[in-house]
Amino acid sequence: MDFLIGWIAIIPSYAAPLLLASLGLIICERAGVLNLGAEGLMAISALTGAMTVLSGADPWVGLAAGSAAAMALALLFGISTVALRANHTLAGLAVVAIGLGITGVVGRPYVQKTFSGISTLGDLFGIDRGSAFGRIFAVQDPVTLALPTLVGALWWWLSKSRHGLRLRSVGENPAAADVAGIDVQLVQFGAVLASGLFCGLAGAYLSVATSHVWVEGMVASRGWIAVALVIFSRWNAARALWGALLFGSADALVPRLQAIGADVPVYLMMTLPYLLTLVVLVAGSLGGRRSGEPAFLGRVYLRQDKQ
Amino acid sequence: MLDTAFLVRRQNPGFLLTSLSYVGGLLVGLTVSAVLLVHAGVPASALVDEFLIATFLTSDGLSQTATAALPLVLVGLASGVAMRVRFWNIGVEGQLWLGAIASTWVALNGSGPEVLRLPTMFVLAALAGAAWIAIPLFLKLKWGVNEVISTLLLGSVAFLLVQHLLFGVWRDPSNSFPVTATFPEASWFLVLGWGQLHAGIFLVAVIALSIWFVMEHSRVGFYADAVGFNAKAALATGLPVLSIAVGLVLLSGALSGVAGMMIVAGTEHRLNQSVGNGYLFSAIVIAYLARAKPLWVVVISFALGAVFTAGNVLKVFYSISEAMIVLMQGAVLMSILMAQFFSSYSLKRPKN
Repeated sequence: MDFLIGWIAIIPSYAAPLLLASLGLIICERAGVLNLGAEGLMAISALTGAMTVLSGADPWVGLAAGSAAAMALALLFGISTVALRANHTLAGLAVVAIGLGITGVVGRPYVQKTFSGISTLGDLFGIDRGSAFGRIFAVQDPVTLALPTLVGALWWWLSKSRHGLRLRSVGENPAAADVAGIDVQLVQFGAVLASGLFCGLAGAYLSVATSHVWVEGMVASRGWIAVALVIFSRWNAARALWGALLFGSADALVPRLQAIGADVPVYLMMTLPYLLTLVVLVAGSLGGRRSGEPAFLGRVYLRQDKQ
Repeated sequence: MLDTAFLVRRQNPGFLLTSLSYVGGLLVGLTVSAVLLVHAGVPASALVDEFLIATFLTSDGLSQTATAALPLVLVGLASGVAMRVRFWNIGVEGQLWLGAIASTWVALNGSGPEVLRLPTMFVLAALAGAAWIAIPLFLKLKWGVNEVISTLLLGSVAFLLVQHLLFGVWRDPSNSFPVTATFPEASWFLVLGWGQLHAGIFLVAVIALSIWFVMEHSRVGFYADAVGFNAKAALATGLPVLSIAVGLVLLSGALSGVAGMMIVAGTEHRLNQSVGNGYLFSAIVIAYLARAKPLWVVVISFALGAVFTAGNVLKVFYSISEAMIVLMQGAVLMSILMAQFFSSYSLKRPKN
């Protein structure tokens, strides 16, 4: 029971970065831009967030600064893919290389320096940690608390609102959207920047809210798992929530088992989230054609092309 | 926003325009890299010294560059042959790790005549690499699972397997680092007496020439391009689409596996945690810059081998992180991708 409560308590903090990143990718890919750069975007924001807090700023400013840095890199991605029509797969990989490269070069002096991060609900409201309920809620932070609302809002915006419809139409049939008077490139640019914002929040959350320290490679393929989560969730924000919780649980299992001193093959256990991703990708594509995939994802639209 | 002018695909950009945009992009990428290096503390005057003279024009440097280029040629070819049939092998590092594991197993537990040790390592490394890529290939063919993600995730799994072995059964108890014991000399490539350069260079030469022949002078290369360009049309024409694609993807994994063997048997002589580092982006950058052409892969691998050699020097003298090489690769890849716009499209203004 004790183990179970400890495990449940930390799942949201493991799920949050995956969820935030996949929400950003869903917006981007719904507009037709295949974004494989999440790993790089998260890396650069994790470092920027840590650097900002280490220089004495408030942790929330750190989150904002991390997002801004990721948006700057996303802008480069947008210029290459949306404006200059570069191959989305290769441009995404270049973004990963640039993000990981910059963090490795710039981050050296900041490695292993701890700082105080975002306050937990326990600190903010003085939740009593006596009960199981209290123990679970006291370690949550305002970000994890706000996430379900954010998912709901984003789901509504994408599937019910006028602007969401416009964005989706660009990803499904840019020619029709163009004829309807939608500025295809502008929408795609906006979607790419939104993915920068959300992946940036995800990366900065890792360093500022969870670890309170920066080390090289701390994103540890979470960006790639987010890319897989998008496929699993069939480009649907609400399903991404369940996916992120599933992965968060698998990810949080190893540190919990270590904490109670269980004798497990640690490195083999750490392969669990990756293997789970593969299983989930298979499960996601069992229903015949990969449903939900935007029809124009990753392709180049020119106005005069016949559809 | 950008629609005040029309973008038109150039049907036949021509050699001059293609090369101009390629070289232009390359120059921009290299300039950005140079600026980054200077910014990181390398004096501008030392750049030519470190990247050209110390890597190509001195005997020591050239032998190091050649040694570093050997696994790069293999991973570049690996990425390239898969690219020809539009299979994104982003898991080169994982297949390389599996090849390294297989050859380490042979080296540490080898029995039988010693002359067979290296050939056994070679065969098992190739098989291990091919087996590791067979999983994403199967998932893609059977259920349409995106290979970009599956190959990449299996790369992470492979690295965890290596760590499991290095912190477990294979750990050399006499060493404070997680490394295996040094291999017996029967499992080393013969050192040729010129720096670190070893007999693996002959193996790489034979492999590169065979792949050049198969991809450029046999039906396989022609079929591969047809499959890559339009698999449905190729199938309708009656080409053996499935066997070409499966064969080249498995070859891609096998080549990466042999690259792992090349590193442990050629230079490290043991398995450690850094054997496979940095080959993921190198493989993609080499294959993309070489347009998946085998001979260009060799040329670009040598250039990148020089960057690796220079990187080692810069790490010692200017404490420049290894991540700088990843950053430079990203910058060059991105700028060439962007520059390609100018050869692929032309801008036309509407008449009215």
